[in-house]
Amino acid sequence: MGADASDLSLVRRVQRGDKGAFDALVLKYQHKLVKLVMRYVRNPAEAEDIAQEAFIKAYRALPQFRGDSAFYTWLYRIAINTAKNAVVSRDRSPVEYELDRHSNDESYDMQGRMKDSETPEGLVLTDEIRSTVNAAIDALPEDLRTAIVLRELEGLSYEEIAAAMDCPVGTVRSRIFRAREAIDKRLREVFEGGLGRAEELG
Amino acid sequence: MNEELDSQLSAMFDDELPPAECELLARRLSRDELLKARWGRYAVVGAVIRAERGVRLNARLAGRVNAAISSEPALGEVGVAARAPRAALRWWQPVAGAAVAAGVAAVSVLWLRTQAPQAPLAAARGEAANVEVSCLGAGCGGRSYVNPPTPLVRPMVVPSTQLANYVVAHSMVAPPVARRNLLSAFMTSEAAAEAQESQANVPAPAH
Repeated sequence: MGADASDLSLVRRVQRGDKGAFDALVLKYQHKLVKLVMRYVRNPAEAEDIAQEAFIKAYRALPQFRGDSAFYTWLYRIAINTAKNAVVSRDRSPVEYELDRHSNDESYDMQGRMKDSETPEGLVLTDEIRSTVNAAIDALPEDLRTAIVLRELEGLSYEEIAAAMDCPVGTVRSRIFRAREAIDKRLREVFEGGLGRAEELG
Repeated sequence: MNEELDSQLSAMFDDELPPAECELLARRLSRDELLKARWGRYAVVGAVIRAERGVRLNARLAGRVNAAISSEPALGEVGVAARAPRAALRWWQPVAGAAVAAGVAAVSVLWLRTQAPQAPLAAARGEAANVEVSCLGAGCGGRSYVNPPTPLVRPMVVPSTQLANYVVAHSMVAPPVARRNLLSAFMTSEAAAEAQESQANVPAPAH
């Protein structure tokens, strides 16, 4: 497989004027980018604002992106610089996310929520999404669960997973797809109901 | 939604789809809202498995970014607008190059033309000097009659028409023994006088 081929094909479409392809890139990387920015600002709402700014900067700079590096590496640098500038402009000291990882996860969650400007309904929905996905993963057959976890948690390629699970690459691709389908089936219900509620709440 | 398409979408999300298939699927993904929603949920599944705490999974970030860039011009249009002057410049580049080359060639030709008449004269001067040197080296004992000693700055003596006619008439009526060209006599007598002067100026060799 060509390295970064899927991102590059979307990037090329954006460069040719297809804004819909940029939506796909945002959907794919929004969570990663917000998590990255949260090393500098603790408040999720503020992190989302910075991530949004980083995505817009990336969109404007895309004509200069030649594909010498992976798209996410390039986006990562833009987000880091945007976050640093935001911290400096607001005259705040950067808060390292790593420090919080030593503390209790529950207390971190409470701390984050206290500063979060999101509505209680939104928080409930996030929890609902998380618990639904976790329940769906637990319900997966062992081979599907191993394949999806090795891919998403460890970041292994299909070839590496095939070597680890002693099966063909095609089987790995099929297992990961089936795992995603099983999770998505349950997640779709939450999104269709939950996000509709969230939009109504504004 | 057919299963093969969804399987391709899952592989593309993991960057495990061949580039040619990626191109086709990227085109469909950018237009198909259902496919895009599924793609977004794949990202949520990954975020939950990685336990990305603090990240709001119901974030409307994609919608906000979409709204923000919807007011901006599409990059293709910007690219075309930016490339248009470049294309014009690209067309003019060979023409401008040819014009510069033609200008340089014209200046070179004009310069050569101004230099050309002086070149034979300079060569003749060089030859005259050489002959003079070789003649002196051979012990001719003075300046040659054939090669006047100072042809460089001395103005040429042009006999008047009346004198020329007289010389011709004299040559025709004079006896052969005395048929000496008066002009030649004049020049030889002048050359002899100069030779005598130069010999007088040469210091005597020390013994």
